Amino acid sequence: MSDRADYLGPTYKLGPPSPPPPTRGEVWKGRIRGLLFPPRPELGAFLFAAALGALGAYGLWFSFTLPGRFPSRIDWRAAAALVARDAQPGDAVALSPPWAERAREVLPERLPLRPDLPLPILAFPSYAAEDLPGIRRVWLVSLPRAPGAASRIARELADRSSSVDGPQPLGGIEVTRYELREPERPLYVFPEQLASASVQVGDSACAPDARGGVRCPGRGAPVVARETREIDFLPRTCIRVSPSGDPGRPLTLVFPDVPLGRTLRGHAGIAGSAGLGSAVPVRLRVSVNGEGLGEWEEAPRASGWRRFELDTSKYAGRRLQVSFEVTAAKAPRFAFCFDAATLP
Amino acid sequence: MLPRTPRRRIALGWAMGVLFLAAVTAPAVGISRDESVYFEAAEGYARFWVDILRAPSQAVPLADRAFSVNREHPGLAKEVFGFTHAVLSSGLGLTSHAEGFRFGTFLFAALLAALLSVWGHSLCGAWGGVLAPGFFFLVPRHFYHCHPAVLDLPETAVWFATAYGFWRSVGSGGDRPRSGRWAVGTGLFFGASLAVKHNGWFLLPLLFACWLLSALPAAFREGPRALSARFPVALLAMGILGPLILLAAWPWLWHDPVSRLRAYFVFHLGHENYPWMYFGTLLRAPPFPVGYPFVVTALTVPAAILVAMAGGLSQSLGRIARALRGGEGVSLPTEVLLSANALFPIALISWPTVPHFGGVKHWMPAMPFLALLAARAVVSAGQILWPRRPGLVIGVLAALAFAPAAWQVAHTHPFGTAAWNELAGGASGAASLGMQRQFWGDNMVGVLPALNDHAAPGARVWFQEATWLAVREYQRDERLRADLAWANGPEDADISVWHYHREFLDKEFRTWTEFGTTRPVAGAYLDEVPLVQVYARPGAWR
Repeated sequence: MSDRADYLGPTYKLGPPSPPPPTRGEVWKGRIRGLLFPPRPELGAFLFAAALGALGAYGLWFSFTLPGRFPSRIDWRAAAALVARDAQPGDAVALSPPWAERAREVLPERLPLRPDLPLPILAFPSYAAEDLPGIRRVWLVSLPRAPGAASRIARELADRSSSVDGPQPLGGIEVTRYELREPERPLYVFPEQLASASVQVGDSACAPDARGGVRCPGRGAPVVARETREIDFLPRTCIRVSPSGDPGRPLTLVFPDVPLGRTLRGHAGIAGSAGLGSAVPVRLRVSVNGEGLGEWEEAPRASGWRRFELDTSKYAGRRLQVSFEVTAAKAPRFAFCFDAATLP
Repeated sequence: MLPRTPRRRIALGWAMGVLFLAAVTAPAVGISRDESVYFEAAEGYARFWVDILRAPSQAVPLADRAFSVNREHPGLAKEVFGFTHAVLSSGLGLTSHAEGFRFGTFLFAALLAALLSVWGHSLCGAWGGVLAPGFFFLVPRHFYHCHPAVLDLPETAVWFATAYGFWRSVGSGGDRPRSGRWAVGTGLFFGASLAVKHNGWFLLPLLFACWLLSALPAAFREGPRALSARFPVALLAMGILGPLILLAAWPWLWHDPVSRLRAYFVFHLGHENYPWMYFGTLLRAPPFPVGYPFVVTALTVPAAILVAMAGGLSQSLGRIARALRGGEGVSLPTEVLLSANALFPIALISWPTVPHFGGVKHWMPAMPFLALLAARAVVSAGQILWPRRPGLVIGVLAALAFAPAAWQVAHTHPFGTAAWNELAGGASGAASLGMQRQFWGDNMVGVLPALNDHAAPGARVWFQEATWLAVREYQRDERLRADLAWANGPEDADISVWHYHREFLDKEFRTWTEFGTTRPVAGAYLDEVPLVQVYARPGAWR
């Protein structure tokens, strides 16, 4: 090789560019590829043992800590004592998680100071859109450390509240009191006043039966009763009706002397799963002093506690007769349920 | 006299251990809906076999009368239950009635434990024999199924026995000479499988497919004659002996086998779909989610055991791939047999139109194979990671897998149908996820002491999910007061025993209406999750 410089001077041709330095991601990719390929039994055995060891250790931790994540009997008693001492008319208890229904066994069912008034215990999965008529304050009894516990119910109640008191820890239980921002104070709750209603099928009057309901004459002996029934997997206290199956002979419930406000709100649904196999729609017609206010049809093969709301503002402040007329083309094999209340 | 070989000694130890533990823990387990019917059937079947000895000429009319009870399932398991009951309870008076029937299940569980141990030993030595049964019996739902006198564990045991017999008959995957004796044994076990439950019908096509898949590489190499030369005699024995044993063990078929077999198949092909909770949805009708059995398995088998099973299955599938590439030292027939049996029963239930209910019991025949593979995976890991001291690694891994599982078994007993693993968050986590809380009505056992202590004399009880036969058995064994009477609904009941089932919530709320209270007087809970709650009218609870 000559030491002399090229007579044309330095070459004008650039050599190939040197490859850019690998990025950090490429370095790791290469390392991982080198680790995994070709597959080696040692690596497989190590990953297997690591996964087994990690989950085994987690299983041990889970096992040893599980009992401490639930309330003891004394915790439940403390929660019961707290609620019993401070609960007032218009209060209700909500459970979180909703399956924590041991509360029903432990907490008072009625207000200790007013045994004539119930203390409802609610186990709804959500309170965001749930109507809570007559409830001013909610005591949330929660199991915060239980596996599967979530704060959603607390958040939903907080969103509806003007003030929150707590949470008060009682061992494995927390109790929090929520003052609802806009409590609904119904003027008249129809299921609670069923005893004052007159019931008839067509022109035939129905008579009270021995079980606190009303039994009507005629085919199928239609029944009207105030019951708590399962509708869409939740307990709903309602007026249970089994219509006659003759559209010409509607089942009519007449409530005299009902104080009316601006709204009549209700819900309707089919109890249990019996409606799923039925093809019979049920119609509910609401009238005030004989004047039609609205109509509702409960479709067959549907589940749900569907809400209806009727404008009664033109009757607001008056006490009038309200009637509910229930008809079905055929006598259904399910129980139709509805509730209603007048609101200011 | 102890067996001479360690293999047999370990197997015998497991069999005796499982038998003893099942017998000791069984009295706490309640009587399920199905079990109460099988008690009734078993007693009648046992009586039939005694009667037939006295009057053989009356066999057919006697069979029709006795076997009309629970004729939707074949007779063998119930005959075993009836036999153990006749000997231990009615004959010797050693056990209660329920325990007498259940002893039959304990025997099947012991058989399964022994076979798991023996096969585990064959696959990977003494550690395999020690660990394999543990991977099965330390799953809480499997442990639960060791107790009730129902068909699922017996079917799992005889399915496994059939596969083991088949494996031995074809020379243990190539390690030993082919065995005619094991071929006959396979036929006998297959017959037992058919005579226990209808799952057994899948075994013949499955084992045929296993053999075919294993033999195909040789057929490609050597031509189709290789197939006929290697055809397993066991499959022939299954085809001949299976139906004969079914017929012999199920006298219901004697009178009119064709039409009664047809009715049997029609019943199971059109089986009712019971409502079932799955992630907050009540499944009522097909199509059901394909992932259901896989997900439920993943959320009920203790997590470390689950990993071991998944690792074992992966290892086996890897070995199949290696064998197909011509790798040395791998028995393709063994791997295909194990993997296919570990996957097929689960895949079968994942079919969207197959009824999805009953927890894990319907694909339980897969689980011993997964246990076997899990044991081998742990042993292999120990041998690879520390070849000089594999026992130490194996011991540590086994302890990490078994300790939390054993705790879960003890913690959930006797509420096995409500057991969920740590990935689900236990019973409470599963309740939040919206999974099926329980089934079969046997968890009422948790409130029997309260009923006995507090129910008013002569109270009428609405037992709901517990059958009348179950109540009668509780009373016959003096586990429930004899003065408590059966009620058909809340209207004629003083006390109502509510078993939590989402599809039956209306029963609880009707009770509230009827009794005028929403407050239970007693309950059975697992991790604070209510399983059973008792309501009483005023004055009916003292």
